[in-house]
Amino acid sequence: MIQFSQVTVNYGYVPGALKDINLQLRDGDFTLLIGPTGSGKSTLLRLIYMDILPSSGTVTVDKWSSYRISPRQINVLRRNIGVVFQDFKLIENMSVFDNVALPLVIEGYRRKYIIRLVRLLLDEVNMLQSERQQASTLSLGEKQRVAIARAMAKNPFVIIADEPTGNLDREASRNVLSLLERIHQNGTSVIMATHDYELIKDTPYRRIYMENGQILPPDRTFSPLNQRINLLADLQ
Amino acid sequence: MKFFFILRQTFNNLWRERTPVVATVLTICIALTILIALFEVSWALYGQLSDLKSNLVIEVYLDPALSEKQAAAIQKQLEQYHTIERIRFISKETAADIFREEFGENIRDILDENPLPISFEIRLLPEYNHPGYMSLFKKQVESISGVDEVHYRHAVIEKLEQITEAIMVSGIFVLIILVFAMNLLIRNTIKLSVYAKRRQIEIMKILGAGNMLIRMPFILEGAFEGLIGGILSATGLIIMHKFIASSFTLVTYSLHTYKLIWVYTLSLGILIGLLTSAGSVGKFVNKIFSKK
Ligand SMILES: Nc1ncnc2c1ncn2[C@@H]1O[C@H](COP(=O)(O)OP(=O)(O)OP(=O)(O)O)[C@@H](O)[C@H]1O
Ligand SMILES: [Mg+2]
Repeated sequence: MIQFSQVTVNYGYVPGALKDINLQLRDGDFTLLIGPTGSGKSTLLRLIYMDILPSSGTVTVDKWSSYRISPRQINVLRRNIGVVFQDFKLIENMSVFDNVALPLVIEGYRRKYIIRLVRLLLDEVNMLQSERQQASTLSLGEKQRVAIARAMAKNPFVIIADEPTGNLDREASRNVLSLLERIHQNGTSVIMATHDYELIKDTPYRRIYMENGQILPPDRTFSPLNQRINLLADLQ
Repeated sequence: MKFFFILRQTFNNLWRERTPVVATVLTICIALTILIALFEVSWALYGQLSDLKSNLVIEVYLDPALSEKQAAAIQKQLEQYHTIERIRFISKETAADIFREEFGENIRDILDENPLPISFEIRLLPEYNHPGYMSLFKKQVESISGVDEVHYRHAVIEKLEQITEAIMVSGIFVLIILVFAMNLLIRNTIKLSVYAKRRQIEIMKILGAGNMLIRMPFILEGAFEGLIGGILSATGLIIMHKFIASSFTLVTYSLHTYKLIWVYTLSLGILIGLLTSAGSVGKFVNKIFSKK
Protein backbone atom coordinates (compact mmCIF):
# COMPACT_ATOMS: atom_id res chain seq x y z
CA MET A 1 0.00 0.00 0.00
CA ILE A 2 1.06 3.54 -0.72
CA GLN A 3 -0.20 6.28 1.53
CA PHE A 4 0.17 10.05 1.49
CA SER A 5 -0.79 11.90 4.66
CA GLN A 6 -0.83 15.68 4.69
CA VAL A 7 1.98 15.81 2.18
CA THR A 8 3.30 19.17 1.07
CA VAL A 9 6.17 19.69 -1.33
CA ASN A 10 7.99 22.96 -1.88
CA TYR A 11 10.78 23.14 -4.41
CA GLY A 12 13.38 25.40 -2.89
CA TYR A 13 11.62 28.65 -2.11
CA VAL A 14 8.80 27.94 -4.57
CA PRO A 15 5.94 26.74 -2.38
CA GLY A 16 3.04 24.48 -3.18
CA ALA A 17 4.10 22.01 -5.85
CA LEU A 18 1.91 19.74 -3.74
CA LYS A 19 -0.44 21.03 -1.06
CA ASP A 20 -1.74 18.88 1.77
CA ILE A 21 -2.17 15.67 -0.21
CA ASN A 22 -4.03 12.77 1.46
CA LEU A 23 -4.24 9.69 -0.69
CA GLN A 24 -4.27 5.93 -0.42
CA LEU A 25 -3.37 3.56 -3.23
CA ARG A 26 -4.20 -0.06 -2.62
CA ASP A 27 -2.07 -2.96 -3.78
CA GLY A 28 -3.11 -4.39 -7.09
CA ASP A 29 -4.87 -1.26 -8.31
CA PHE A 30 -4.37 0.43 -11.63
CA THR A 31 -4.46 4.15 -10.90
CA LEU A 32 -4.49 6.97 -13.40
CA LEU A 33 -3.14 10.36 -12.44
CA ILE A 34 -4.64 13.01 -14.66
CA GLY A 35 -4.04 16.73 -14.70
CA PRO A 36 -2.65 19.60 -16.72
CA THR A 37 1.01 20.53 -16.98
CA GLY A 38 2.44 21.74 -13.70
CA SER A 39 -0.38 20.26 -11.61
CA GLY A 40 2.07 18.11 -9.63
CA LYS A 41 1.75 14.64 -11.14
CA SER A 42 5.47 14.04 -11.49
CA THR A 43 6.09 15.47 -8.05
CA LEU A 44 3.63 13.01 -6.54
CA LEU A 45 5.25 10.09 -8.36
CA ARG A 46 8.77 11.15 -7.38
CA LEU A 47 7.67 10.99 -3.76
CA ILE A 48 6.83 7.32 -4.20
CA TYR A 49 10.33 6.28 -5.30
CA MET A 50 11.69 8.90 -2.89
CA ASP A 51 13.55 10.89 -5.49
CA ILE A 52 12.33 13.76 -3.34
CA LEU A 53 11.08 13.70 0.25
CA PRO A 54 8.03 15.67 1.39
CA SER A 55 8.56 19.12 2.88
CA SER A 56 5.96 18.13 5.45
CA GLY A 57 3.72 15.13 5.96
CA THR A 58 4.57 11.50 5.38
CA VAL A 59 4.66 9.17 2.42
CA THR A 60 4.50 5.49 3.23
CA VAL A 61 5.38 2.96 0.54
CA ASP A 62 4.91 -0.65 1.56
CA LYS A 63 7.10 -0.99 4.67
CA TRP A 64 9.10 2.19 4.06
CA SER A 65 8.19 5.56 5.48
CA SER A 66 9.57 8.86 4.29
CA TYR A 67 9.53 10.02 7.88
CA ARG A 68 12.74 8.22 8.73
CA ILE A 69 14.55 6.55 5.89
CA SER A 70 18.27 6.15 5.31
CA PRO A 71 19.83 6.60 1.86
CA ARG A 72 20.59 2.89 1.89
CA GLN A 73 16.96 2.02 2.53
CA ILE A 74 15.88 4.39 -0.25
CA ASN A 75 18.04 2.29 -2.60
CA VAL A 76 16.39 -0.89 -1.32
CA LEU A 77 12.96 0.69 -1.85
CA ARG A 78 13.83 1.70 -5.42
CA ARG A 79 14.95 -1.83 -6.22
CA ASN A 80 11.44 -2.95 -5.32
CA ILE A 81 9.69 -0.41 -7.55
CA GLY A 82 9.57 -0.30 -11.33
CA VAL A 83 9.74 3.13 -12.96
CA VAL A 84 8.89 4.16 -16.52
CA PHE A 85 9.35 7.66 -17.88
CA GLN A 86 8.29 9.79 -20.79
CA ASP A 87 11.93 10.07 -21.88
CA PHE A 88 12.55 6.33 -21.25
CA LYS A 89 15.76 6.91 -19.27
CA LEU A 90 17.61 4.16 -21.08
CA ILE A 91 21.39 4.17 -21.20
CA GLU A 92 21.70 5.02 -24.85
CA ASN A 93 25.16 3.61 -25.52
CA MET A 94 24.35 0.24 -23.98
CA SER A 95 22.64 -2.67 -25.67
CA VAL A 96 18.99 -3.49 -25.12
CA PHE A 97 20.10 -6.54 -23.18
CA ASP A 98 22.39 -4.57 -20.87
CA ASN A 99 19.72 -1.98 -20.18
CA VAL A 100 17.23 -4.59 -19.05
CA ALA A 101 19.96 -6.40 -17.11
CA LEU A 102 20.93 -3.28 -15.18
CA PRO A 103 18.50 -3.67 -12.23
CA LEU A 104 19.57 -7.31 -11.94
CA VAL A 105 23.26 -6.37 -11.97
CA ILE A 106 22.57 -3.76 -9.30
CA GLU A 107 20.88 -6.44 -7.22
CA GLY A 108 24.00 -8.58 -7.60
CA TYR A 109 22.43 -11.56 -9.36
CA ARG A 110 24.51 -14.23 -11.03
CA ARG A 111 25.24 -14.01 -14.73
CA LYS A 112 23.48 -17.21 -15.73
CA TYR A 113 20.31 -16.16 -13.99
CA ILE A 114 20.46 -12.66 -15.48
CA ILE A 115 20.77 -13.97 -19.03
CA ARG A 116 17.75 -16.24 -18.66
CA LEU A 117 15.62 -13.61 -16.98
CA VAL A 118 16.46 -10.80 -19.43
CA ARG A 119 15.57 -13.01 -22.40
CA LEU A 120 12.20 -13.82 -20.83
CA LEU A 121 11.50 -10.16 -20.16
CA LEU A 122 12.48 -9.08 -23.67
CA ASP A 123 10.30 -11.80 -25.08
CA GLU A 124 7.36 -10.50 -23.05
CA VAL A 125 7.66 -7.02 -24.55
CA ASN A 126 8.39 -8.50 -27.97
CA MET A 127 11.94 -7.10 -28.15
CA LEU A 128 14.01 -10.28 -27.95
CA GLN A 129 15.08 -9.97 -31.59
CA SER A 130 16.78 -6.64 -30.77
CA GLU A 131 18.66 -7.70 -27.65
CA ARG A 132 22.08 -6.90 -29.10
CA GLN A 133 21.05 -3.60 -30.63
CA GLN A 134 22.25 -0.39 -29.02
CA ALA A 135 19.41 1.42 -27.24
CA SER A 136 20.03 4.62 -29.22
CA THR A 137 19.09 2.90 -32.47
CA LEU A 138 15.57 1.93 -31.37
CA SER A 139 12.34 3.64 -32.31
CA LEU A 140 10.61 5.51 -29.51
CA GLY A 141 7.94 2.84 -29.10
CA GLU A 142 10.62 0.16 -28.89
CA LYS A 143 12.54 2.18 -26.34
CA GLN A 144 9.52 2.37 -24.09
CA ARG A 145 8.96 -1.36 -24.38
CA VAL A 146 12.56 -1.97 -23.34
CA ALA A 147 12.08 0.46 -20.45
CA ILE A 148 9.01 -1.47 -19.35
CA ALA A 149 10.94 -4.74 -19.51
CA ARG A 150 13.59 -3.15 -17.30
CA ALA A 151 10.94 -1.93 -14.86
CA MET A 152 9.55 -5.46 -14.69
CA ALA A 153 12.93 -7.12 -14.16
CA LYS A 154 12.77 -7.27 -10.39
CA ASN A 155 9.12 -8.27 -10.35
CA PRO A 156 8.22 -5.10 -8.40
CA PHE A 157 5.04 -4.75 -6.39
CA VAL A 158 4.32 -1.45 -8.12
CA ILE A 159 5.14 0.16 -11.45
CA ILE A 160 5.22 3.92 -11.66
CA ALA A 161 4.78 5.34 -15.13
CA ASP A 162 5.16 9.09 -15.58
CA GLU A 163 3.57 9.94 -18.92
CA PRO A 164 4.91 6.79 -20.54
CA THR A 165 3.15 7.59 -23.81
CA GLY A 166 4.04 11.28 -23.87
CA ASN A 167 6.48 10.90 -26.77
CA LEU A 168 4.71 8.10 -28.62
CA ASP A 169 2.30 7.96 -31.51
CA ARG A 170 -1.16 6.47 -31.17
CA GLU A 171 -0.26 2.90 -32.01
CA ALA A 172 2.82 2.80 -29.81
CA SER A 173 0.84 4.41 -27.00
CA ARG A 174 -1.85 1.74 -27.18
CA ASN A 175 0.86 -0.89 -27.23
CA VAL A 176 2.45 0.53 -24.05
CA LEU A 177 -0.90 0.83 -22.28
CA SER A 178 -1.81 -2.76 -23.07
CA LEU A 179 1.59 -3.88 -21.79
CA LEU A 180 0.95 -2.06 -18.52
CA GLU A 181 -2.53 -3.58 -18.36
CA ARG A 182 -1.06 -7.03 -18.78
CA ILE A 183 1.40 -6.37 -15.99
CA HIS A 184 -1.48 -5.21 -13.83
CA GLN A 185 -3.42 -8.36 -14.56
CA ASN A 186 -0.51 -10.34 -13.17
CA GLY A 187 -0.98 -8.64 -9.82
CA THR A 188 1.37 -5.66 -9.95
CA SER A 189 0.03 -2.23 -9.01
CA VAL A 190 0.37 0.38 -11.72
CA ILE A 191 0.30 4.13 -11.22
CA MET A 192 0.31 6.06 -14.45
CA ALA A 193 0.35 9.80 -14.93
CA THR A 194 -0.90 11.04 -18.24
CA HIS A 195 -2.51 13.89 -20.07
CA ASP A 196 -3.51 11.68 -22.92
CA TYR A 197 -7.20 11.55 -22.08
CA GLU A 198 -8.09 9.94 -25.38
CA LEU A 199 -5.90 6.96 -24.58
CA ILE A 200 -7.46 6.17 -21.23
CA LYS A 201 -11.01 7.43 -21.59
CA ASP A 202 -12.53 3.97 -22.03
CA THR A 203 -10.56 2.30 -19.26
CA PRO A 204 -12.29 1.28 -16.02
CA TYR A 205 -9.39 2.30 -13.72
CA ARG A 206 -9.41 4.63 -10.78
CA ARG A 207 -8.75 8.22 -11.83
CA ILE A 208 -7.21 10.85 -9.67
CA TYR A 209 -7.50 14.36 -11.01
CA MET A 210 -4.91 16.89 -10.01
CA GLU A 211 -4.81 20.61 -10.43
CA ASN A 212 -2.47 23.19 -9.00
CA GLY A 213 -0.80 20.85 -6.54
CA GLN A 214 -4.02 19.47 -5.18
CA ILE A 215 -6.22 16.42 -5.73
CA LEU A 216 -9.68 17.40 -6.89
CA PRO A 217 -12.54 15.86 -4.92
CA PRO A 218 -14.56 13.36 -6.97
CA ASP A 219 -17.55 15.67 -7.31
CA ARG A 220 -15.36 18.48 -8.61
CA THR A 221 -13.65 16.19 -11.05
CA PHE A 222 -15.09 18.09 -13.95
CA SER A 223 -13.79 21.49 -13.09
CA PRO A 224 -13.79 23.93 -15.98
CA LEU A 225 -10.19 23.12 -16.68
CA ASN A 226 -10.71 19.38 -16.74
CA GLN A 227 -13.83 19.82 -18.81
CA ARG A 228 -11.73 21.66 -21.30
CA ILE A 229 -9.11 18.88 -21.32
CA ASN A 230 -11.76 16.26 -21.79
CA LEU A 231 -13.51 18.24 -24.46
CA LEU A 232 -10.29 18.77 -26.38
CA ALA A 233 -9.49 15.09 -26.11
CA ASP A 234 -12.92 14.11 -27.34
CA LEU A 235 -12.65 16.45 -30.29
CA GLN A 236 -9.39 14.90 -31.49
CA MET B 1 28.28 -9.95 -12.77
CA LYS B 2 28.56 -6.77 -10.74
CA PHE B 3 32.31 -7.13 -10.95
CA PHE B 4 32.27 -7.46 -14.74
CA PHE B 5 29.90 -4.56 -15.00
CA ILE B 6 32.28 -2.39 -12.99
CA LEU B 7 35.28 -3.46 -15.06
CA ARG B 8 33.46 -2.81 -18.31
CA GLN B 9 32.47 0.63 -17.11
CA THR B 10 36.04 1.31 -16.05
CA PHE B 11 37.47 0.48 -19.46
CA ASN B 12 34.65 2.31 -21.14
CA ASN B 13 35.58 5.42 -19.14
CA LEU B 14 39.26 5.03 -19.96
CA TRP B 15 38.57 4.67 -23.65
CA ARG B 16 36.08 7.51 -23.76
CA GLU B 17 38.53 9.94 -22.10
CA ARG B 18 41.61 8.50 -23.77
CA THR B 19 43.37 11.78 -24.51
CA PRO B 20 43.37 13.13 -20.93
CA VAL B 21 44.02 9.59 -19.72
CA VAL B 22 47.19 9.37 -21.80
CA ALA B 23 48.37 12.74 -20.47
CA THR B 24 47.66 11.59 -16.92
CA VAL B 25 49.41 8.26 -17.37
CA LEU B 26 52.51 9.98 -18.76
CA THR B 27 52.59 12.42 -15.87
CA ILE B 28 52.29 9.59 -13.37
CA CYS B 29 55.05 7.75 -15.21
CA ILE B 30 57.40 10.75 -15.16
CA ALA B 31 56.70 11.51 -11.51
CA LEU B 32 57.30 7.91 -10.44
CA THR B 33 60.45 7.66 -12.54
CA ILE B 34 61.89 10.81 -11.03
CA LEU B 35 60.92 9.72 -7.55
CA ILE B 36 62.55 6.31 -7.83
CA ALA B 37 65.59 7.60 -9.73
CA LEU B 38 66.07 10.31 -7.13
CA PHE B 39 65.84 7.76 -4.39
CA GLU B 40 68.36 5.50 -6.10
CA VAL B 41 70.84 8.22 -6.97
CA SER B 42 70.84 9.68 -3.50
CA TRP B 43 71.08 6.18 -2.06
CA ALA B 44 74.16 5.51 -4.21
CA LEU B 45 75.72 8.87 -3.39
CA TYR B 46 75.16 8.40 0.32
CA GLY B 47 76.73 4.99 0.03
CA GLN B 48 79.77 6.49 -1.64
CA LEU B 49 79.94 9.25 0.91
CA SER B 50 79.86 6.99 3.92
CA ASP B 51 82.41 4.70 2.25
CA LEU B 52 84.72 7.63 1.72
CA LYS B 53 84.17 8.92 5.20
CA SER B 54 84.84 5.63 6.90
CA ASN B 55 88.05 5.22 4.93
CA LEU B 56 89.12 8.74 5.60
CA VAL B 57 92.45 9.03 7.35
CA ILE B 58 94.12 12.10 8.68
CA GLU B 59 97.82 12.13 7.98
CA VAL B 60 99.99 13.90 10.50
CA TYR B 61 103.52 14.56 9.25
CA LEU B 62 106.17 15.34 11.80
CA ASP B 63 109.23 17.51 11.48
CA PRO B 64 111.79 15.35 9.57
CA ALA B 65 114.40 16.19 12.19
CA LEU B 66 112.49 14.49 15.00
CA SER B 67 113.71 11.23 16.45
CA GLU B 68 111.45 8.22 17.04
CA LYS B 69 111.50 8.93 20.75
CA GLN B 70 110.25 12.45 20.28
CA ALA B 71 107.63 11.10 17.87
CA ALA B 72 106.44 8.65 20.51
CA ALA B 73 105.93 11.57 22.88
CA ILE B 74 103.72 13.30 20.29
CA GLN B 75 101.78 10.07 19.82
CA LYS B 76 101.14 10.00 23.58
CA GLN B 77 99.83 13.53 23.31
CA LEU B 78 97.55 12.62 20.41
CA GLU B 79 96.21 9.62 22.26
CA GLN B 80 94.64 12.04 24.73
CA TYR B 81 91.98 12.84 22.10
CA HIS B 82 88.86 10.82 22.85
CA THR B 83 87.68 11.49 19.28
CA ILE B 84 90.34 9.24 17.78
CA GLU B 85 89.53 5.67 16.92
CA ARG B 86 93.09 4.58 16.30
CA ILE B 87 96.53 5.86 15.46
CA ARG B 88 99.00 4.10 13.23
CA PHE B 89 102.62 4.96 13.67
CA ILE B 90 104.53 5.14 10.37
CA SER B 91 108.24 5.10 10.77
CA LYS B 92 110.66 6.45 8.17
CA GLU B 93 111.21 2.84 6.98
CA THR B 94 107.54 2.06 6.67
CA ALA B 95 107.05 5.32 4.77
CA ALA B 96 109.79 4.26 2.38
CA ASP B 97 108.10 0.87 1.92
CA ILE B 98 104.82 2.56 1.16
CA PHE B 99 106.60 4.84 -1.31
CA ARG B 100 108.10 1.82 -3.05
CA GLU B 101 104.76 0.12 -3.23
CA GLU B 102 103.07 3.14 -4.70
CA PHE B 103 105.73 4.38 -7.08
CA GLY B 104 107.71 1.20 -7.72
CA GLU B 105 111.04 2.79 -6.91
CA ASN B 106 113.23 2.79 -3.89
CA ILE B 107 113.51 6.27 -2.47
CA ARG B 108 116.98 5.45 -1.15
CA ASP B 109 118.13 4.75 -4.68
CA ILE B 110 116.95 8.14 -5.87
CA LEU B 111 118.21 10.17 -2.95
CA ASP B 112 121.03 9.02 -0.81
CA GLU B 113 119.19 9.12 2.42
CA ASN B 114 115.53 8.65 3.39
CA PRO B 115 113.93 12.12 3.41
CA LEU B 116 110.50 10.87 4.41
CA PRO B 117 109.32 12.11 7.80
CA ILE B 118 107.76 10.06 10.55
CA SER B 119 103.98 10.30 10.35
CA PHE B 120 100.78 9.09 11.93
CA GLU B 121 97.67 7.84 10.21
CA ILE B 122 94.73 8.80 12.35
CA ARG B 123 91.23 7.48 11.98
CA LEU B 124 88.56 9.42 13.86
CA LEU B 125 85.51 7.91 15.47
CA PRO B 126 82.68 7.81 12.86
CA GLU B 127 80.63 10.48 14.57
CA TYR B 128 83.55 12.95 14.24
CA ASN B 129 84.06 12.23 10.55
CA HIS B 130 82.68 15.50 9.33
CA PRO B 131 84.38 18.53 7.80
CA GLY B 132 83.62 20.84 10.72
CA TYR B 133 85.39 18.81 13.34
CA MET B 134 88.19 17.77 11.02
CA SER B 135 89.29 21.29 10.29
CA LEU B 136 89.25 22.05 14.03
CA PHE B 137 91.27 18.91 14.71
CA LYS B 138 93.73 19.84 11.98
CA LYS B 139 94.29 23.25 13.53
CA GLN B 140 94.78 21.86 17.00
CA VAL B 141 97.19 19.16 15.91
CA GLU B 142 99.19 21.51 13.72
CA SER B 143 99.78 23.72 16.79
CA ILE B 144 101.58 20.87 18.59
CA SER B 145 105.30 21.55 18.38
CA GLY B 146 107.11 19.02 16.22
CA VAL B 147 104.09 18.56 13.94
CA ASP B 148 104.85 19.79 10.48
CA GLU B 149 101.62 19.31 8.55
CA VAL B 150 98.16 17.70 8.82
CA HIS B 151 96.44 16.39 5.64
CA TYR B 152 93.10 14.95 4.83
CA ARG B 153 91.11 14.68 1.59
CA HIS B 154 88.16 16.80 2.57
CA ALA B 155 87.67 18.48 -0.78
CA VAL B 156 86.26 15.36 -2.45
CA ILE B 157 83.86 14.73 0.38
CA GLU B 158 82.63 18.28 0.51
CA LYS B 159 82.07 18.28 -3.24
CA LEU B 160 80.16 15.03 -3.07
CA GLU B 161 78.05 16.32 -0.22
CA GLN B 162 77.23 19.45 -2.20
CA ILE B 163 76.24 17.42 -5.25
CA THR B 164 74.05 15.11 -3.21
CA GLU B 165 72.32 18.04 -1.61
CA ALA B 166 71.78 19.83 -4.93
CA ILE B 167 70.30 16.71 -6.50
CA MET B 168 68.02 16.17 -3.53
CA VAL B 169 66.78 19.74 -3.36
CA SER B 170 66.11 20.17 -7.07
CA GLY B 171 64.65 16.68 -7.29
CA ILE B 172 62.25 17.30 -4.46
CA PHE B 173 61.26 20.61 -6.00
CA VAL B 174 60.47 18.98 -9.35
CA LEU B 175 58.73 16.16 -7.55
CA ILE B 176 56.43 18.49 -5.64
CA ILE B 177 55.36 20.11 -8.89
CA LEU B 178 54.82 16.71 -10.50
CA VAL B 179 52.81 15.35 -7.58
CA PHE B 180 50.65 18.42 -7.81
CA ALA B 181 50.20 17.99 -11.57
CA MET B 182 49.52 14.29 -11.15
CA ASN B 183 46.80 14.94 -8.61
CA LEU B 184 45.24 17.60 -10.82
CA LEU B 185 45.26 15.40 -13.93
CA ILE B 186 43.88 12.29 -12.22
CA ARG B 187 41.07 14.33 -10.72
CA ASN B 188 40.46 15.90 -14.11
CA THR B 189 39.97 12.56 -15.89
CA ILE B 190 37.65 11.38 -13.13
CA LYS B 191 35.69 14.61 -13.39
CA LEU B 192 35.37 14.27 -17.17
CA SER B 193 34.27 10.65 -16.87
CA VAL B 194 31.69 11.40 -14.19
CA TYR B 195 30.38 14.27 -16.25
CA ALA B 196 30.16 12.15 -19.40
CA LYS B 197 28.29 9.49 -17.44
CA ARG B 198 25.99 11.85 -15.55
CA ARG B 199 22.86 10.54 -17.21
CA GLN B 200 23.82 6.95 -16.60
CA ILE B 201 24.56 7.74 -12.96
CA GLU B 202 21.19 9.42 -12.63
CA ILE B 203 19.45 6.36 -14.12
CA MET B 204 21.37 3.96 -11.91
CA LYS B 205 20.36 5.96 -8.86
CA ILE B 206 16.71 5.77 -9.84
CA LEU B 207 17.15 2.01 -10.14
CA GLY B 208 18.52 1.91 -6.59
CA ALA B 209 22.24 1.45 -7.23
CA GLY B 210 24.42 2.04 -4.17
CA ASN B 211 27.39 4.36 -3.92
CA MET B 212 29.82 1.47 -4.28
CA LEU B 213 28.53 0.41 -7.69
CA ILE B 214 28.25 3.98 -8.94
CA ARG B 215 31.68 5.14 -7.78
CA MET B 216 33.77 2.01 -8.26
CA PRO B 217 34.32 2.36 -12.04
CA PHE B 218 35.75 5.85 -11.52
CA ILE B 219 37.93 4.78 -8.61
CA LEU B 220 39.28 1.90 -10.67
CA GLU B 221 39.81 4.29 -13.56
CA GLY B 222 42.24 6.25 -11.39
CA ALA B 223 43.89 3.07 -10.11
CA PHE B 224 44.31 1.83 -13.67
CA GLU B 225 45.95 5.08 -14.72
CA GLY B 226 48.35 4.63 -11.81
CA LEU B 227 48.99 1.01 -12.79
CA ILE B 228 49.87 1.87 -16.40
CA GLY B 229 51.95 4.84 -15.26
CA GLY B 230 53.77 2.46 -12.91
CA ILE B 231 54.41 -0.14 -15.61
CA LEU B 232 55.81 2.48 -18.00
CA SER B 233 57.92 3.96 -15.24
CA ALA B 234 59.36 0.58 -14.21
CA THR B 235 60.18 -0.22 -17.83
CA GLY B 236 61.88 3.13 -18.29
CA LEU B 237 63.84 2.79 -15.07
CA ILE B 238 65.07 -0.67 -15.94
CA ILE B 239 66.19 0.44 -19.40
CA MET B 240 67.98 3.37 -17.78
CA HIS B 241 69.58 0.98 -15.32
CA LYS B 242 70.96 -1.25 -18.03
CA PHE B 243 72.29 1.79 -19.86
CA ILE B 244 73.85 3.42 -16.80
CA ALA B 245 75.16 0.21 -15.32
CA SER B 246 77.09 -0.54 -18.46
CA SER B 247 78.81 2.84 -18.41
CA PHE B 248 79.33 3.36 -14.67
CA THR B 249 80.39 1.01 -11.99
CA LEU B 250 78.92 3.34 -9.40
CA VAL B 251 75.41 1.97 -9.85
CA THR B 252 75.09 -1.64 -8.91
CA TYR B 253 72.14 -3.54 -10.23
CA SER B 254 70.73 -7.01 -10.05
CA LEU B 255 67.54 -8.92 -10.60
CA HIS B 256 66.73 -8.10 -7.03
CA THR B 257 66.85 -4.38 -7.84
CA TYR B 258 64.51 -4.92 -10.79
CA LYS B 259 62.03 -6.71 -8.62
CA LEU B 260 62.11 -3.84 -6.16
CA ILE B 261 61.60 -1.30 -8.95
CA TRP B 262 58.51 -3.18 -10.11
CA VAL B 263 57.16 -3.41 -6.59
CA TYR B 264 57.74 0.27 -5.82
CA THR B 265 56.47 1.79 -9.07
CA LEU B 266 53.41 -0.43 -9.33
CA SER B 267 52.32 -0.13 -5.73
CA LEU B 268 52.99 3.60 -5.63
CA GLY B 269 51.22 4.17 -8.95
CA ILE B 270 48.14 2.17 -8.01
CA LEU B 271 48.01 3.71 -4.56
CA ILE B 272 48.24 7.27 -5.86
CA GLY B 273 45.63 6.65 -8.56
CA LEU B 274 43.30 4.86 -6.18
CA LEU B 275 43.48 7.38 -3.38
CA THR B 276 43.20 10.42 -5.64
CA SER B 277 40.17 9.10 -7.51
CA ALA B 278 38.52 7.67 -4.41
CA GLY B 279 39.00 10.98 -2.68
CA SER B 280 37.38 13.04 -5.44
CA VAL B 281 34.72 10.91 -7.13
CA GLY B 282 32.11 11.48 -4.41
CA LYS B 283 32.45 15.22 -4.77
CA PHE B 284 32.04 15.13 -8.56
CA VAL B 285 29.01 12.83 -8.38
CA ASN B 286 27.33 15.00 -5.79
CA LYS B 287 28.07 18.12 -7.81
CA ILE B 288 26.05 16.79 -10.74
CA PHE B 289 23.03 16.25 -8.57
CA SER B 290 23.18 19.42 -6.56
CA LYS B 291 22.60 21.37 -9.79
CA LYS B 292 19.36 19.52 -10.44
N1 LIG C 1 12.92 20.63 -9.82
C1 LIG C 1 11.98 21.61 -9.66
N2 LIG C 1 12.35 22.80 -9.15
C2 LIG C 1 11.44 23.78 -8.99
N3 LIG C 1 10.15 23.66 -9.30
C3 LIG C 1 9.71 22.50 -9.82
C4 LIG C 1 10.61 21.41 -10.03
N4 LIG C 1 9.92 20.37 -10.55
C5 LIG C 1 8.65 20.80 -10.65
N5 LIG C 1 8.51 22.07 -10.22
C6 LIG C 1 7.28 22.84 -10.16
O1 LIG C 1 6.36 22.11 -9.37
C7 LIG C 1 5.06 22.15 -9.96
C8 LIG C 1 4.59 20.74 -10.24
O2 LIG C 1 5.44 20.17 -11.23
P1 LIG C 1 5.29 18.69 -11.78
O3 LIG C 1 6.46 18.42 -12.63
O4 LIG C 1 5.03 17.80 -10.64
O5 LIG C 1 3.98 18.81 -12.67
P2 LIG C 1 3.40 17.75 -13.71
O6 LIG C 1 1.97 17.61 -13.37
O7 LIG C 1 4.23 16.55 -13.73
O8 LIG C 1 3.55 18.53 -15.06
P3 LIG C 1 3.83 17.93 -16.53
O9 LIG C 1 2.53 17.42 -17.02
O10 LIG C 1 4.31 19.11 -17.30
O11 LIG C 1 4.85 16.87 -16.37
C9 LIG C 1 5.19 23.00 -11.21
O12 LIG C 1 4.77 24.30 -10.88
C10 LIG C 1 6.66 22.99 -11.53
O13 LIG C 1 7.04 24.21 -12.10
MG1 LIG D 1 5.43 15.56 -15.18
